[in-house]
Order: sequence, then C-alpha cells, then structure tokens
Amino acid sequence: MAFLDWLEHTSLSTTLRDSPNVFLYPTILAFHTLGLAFFVGISSAIALRVLGVAPGLTLAPFRKFYPLMWFGFFLNAVSGTLLLVIEPTKFLTMVDFYVKLLAIAGAVLCNRLLYVRHFKNPAPVDPNPLPLRDRAVAVATLFFWAAAITAGRLTAYDDPHAQWQTALGTAIVTAALVVGGFVSIKGWRVVVHGSVS
Amino acid sequence: MEAFLRYWMRWPSVEHLIYRYLWVWGVCQSLHFVGMALLIGTVGILDLRLLGMAKQFPVAAIKKLIPWGVFGFVLCLATGLLFITGIYANVNIHPYVVLKSDVFLQLKLFFVVLAGVNLLLFYVTGMSKAVDRLEAGEEAPPLAKFFAGASLFLWIAVMYFARLIPSGKFQP
Repeated sequence: MAFLDWLEHTSLSTTLRDSPNVFLYPTILAFHTLGLAFFVGISSAIALRVLGVAPGLTLAPFRKFYPLMWFGFFLNAVSGTLLLVIEPTKFLTMVDFYVKLLAIAGAVLCNRLLYVRHFKNPAPVDPNPLPLRDRAVAVATLFFWAAAITAGRLTAYDDPHAQWQTALGTAIVTAALVVGGFVSIKGWRVVVHGSVS
Repeated sequence: MEAFLRYWMRWPSVEHLIYRYLWVWGVCQSLHFVGMALLIGTVGILDLRLLGMAKQFPVAAIKKLIPWGVFGFVLCLATGLLFITGIYANVNIHPYVVLKSDVFLQLKLFFVVLAGVNLLLFYVTGMSKAVDRLEAGEEAPPLAKFFAGASLFLWIAVMYFARLIPSGKFQP
C-alpha cells in the first residue's frame, strides 16, 4: 500500500487528478472511450460475422481491420494506465476492477482464437455456417465485452452494493434484449418467409 | 418556450425511476457504451471500406451489418434521453439548466445532428444506392468517400465531447 500511496502523490498523479484543464483528465477518459469504440466495435462486428450476420462477407478482408482494432487496444492500454496512475488505490483495491481486467483478457483470448483459426491463413472458401466451436467463441467474445464494459462502468461507484445491483440489472436487461431480439427476428422470418430457417 | 422545455425535459416518471431503483442509471450507462460500440463497429467498417480499406468487401454485403449499428444507435438514443430527462435525480440540477450551460453536451448534440444530416445527404445524393453496386475491389466515388470520412470524423467528435459532458460547467 505504501507504493500505491507514493504513486498517488507523484506530481504526475496529482496534476492529472486535480487540474481543471479539460485536455488532461477528461481527455484521457475520452480517449479511453474512443479506443473502446474501435476495439470492441470491430471485434464485435467480426464476432457477429462469425455468428452468421452478413454471410456475403468473406472472412479474409477482415484482416485489414485488425491493426485498427489493436490500435484501439493500444489507446486503451495507455489511457487506462494513466487513469490507474490518477487513482491507484481506488482501482487496485476494488474487486470489480479485476473482474474488468479478466473480462478484457477473456475477450482478447477469444479474438486471438478466431484470428488464428480463420483470419491468419484464411481458407479459400469459408465454411458456411462456421463450425459450432467458432460460433461459441464468438458468443463468448460478445459476452466478455459486455462484461468488460459493465465492470468498467461500475468502477465509477464506490459502494459494492450499488455495483452488485447494477451488474445484476445489466445482466437481466441484456438477457431480455437478447432473448426478445432473437424471438422477434425468428418471428419476423416466420411471418415474412413462412419458415424459421 | 422555456416553461415548455422546463416542464417536458424534467420528465417526472423517468426521474422517479432513477430515484426508486439504484441500478437504473448504471444499467443505462452500460447499454449506452454497448450501443456505441455496435454503432462504431458496423458503421465504421462501412465507412472505412468506402474510403478504400478492405476493398475486397462488396459494399452491399457490408450493409447487412448496419441493422446492428441502427440497433446500437437506438440503444444510445433511448438511454441518452433518459440521462438528459432524468439528470435531476443524479446531480440535482434541472435538465434545462444543464442543456443551456454545458457546452460539451451542446457540442455533442450538435455533432449528432451533423452526423444525421450527413447520413441524409448520403441518401438524397444517390450515393447510398451507387455504392450498393460496388463489387469486390471497386473504388467508391469521391463524393461517397467524402460522406464516409465525414461520418467517421463526426462520430469520433460525438464520442469525444460526450465524455467531457461531466466536466462541463453547470450553473444551477
């Protein structure tokens, strides 16, 4: 804890924390959001494609988006480290923060699995649908991202009770949206095409 | 006009929902970020394709991703309206005052409107139809590239200013 205390009182930490300049703390926070949008956004789009959305897209050209995705990750690693320097004790003594890091690690690992299996050396013809195993990895990717975003948002709360309630609320609302969306899409297809396929 | 806005912007039922349940605000925050990621992931890929990245993608096929971006936008719109109309429950300041005094909120909304105008022009100039015919490897027309670049720029501006909103000066 002595180390965290020291870190929290370095001039870098106090300047970034206490300055009213919007180009310091608020802008670091904004870059953390921009990195998230590109990293999570592109990763989620790839996961959706693996799950069968936009089947007309061959997998190979997605490789071009990986550098941008990893640039988003880089932005977040840098801005995240700075945010950690600003409030080291708060984050490193909070269980929720470690949940967030684990969720990000899970999402990165799933990304990597899909990349190695389908994007690194793409098959001349993509299997359609993709193997169940890969679709399961894509679902896990989306789950880990939702968990990482929620856990990230929850670091704004000091009260563990509020964190638990919000986490549970998010899980319930997300499950309702996913199930509701799935049923409506299937229902729509039955009405329009007269079949579930 | 002020009385009208003051009444309708502080939509009482939303405010009470936030007072009553501890989790409403946080759940909406998470969904706002999820919606943002869906919007940027799908629309961003389309914009980048039009600008020349991953030209092997036929444009019409990418557009099948767009409903997920629209869903993301709807999530952001619904939760965003809740943040504005219910802000009194969170910071004890009337939403009308926040809207009038927070320059970052104003800038964010301004860029959202510009992004909407940009999208509208993309349709009415016929560019949306024109790019649908682009097969793998084909280059988008310059005007379509302009709209795609503008779209990326505007959404990045929206996200940037949005994150500054809590640092804006509220004058209660």
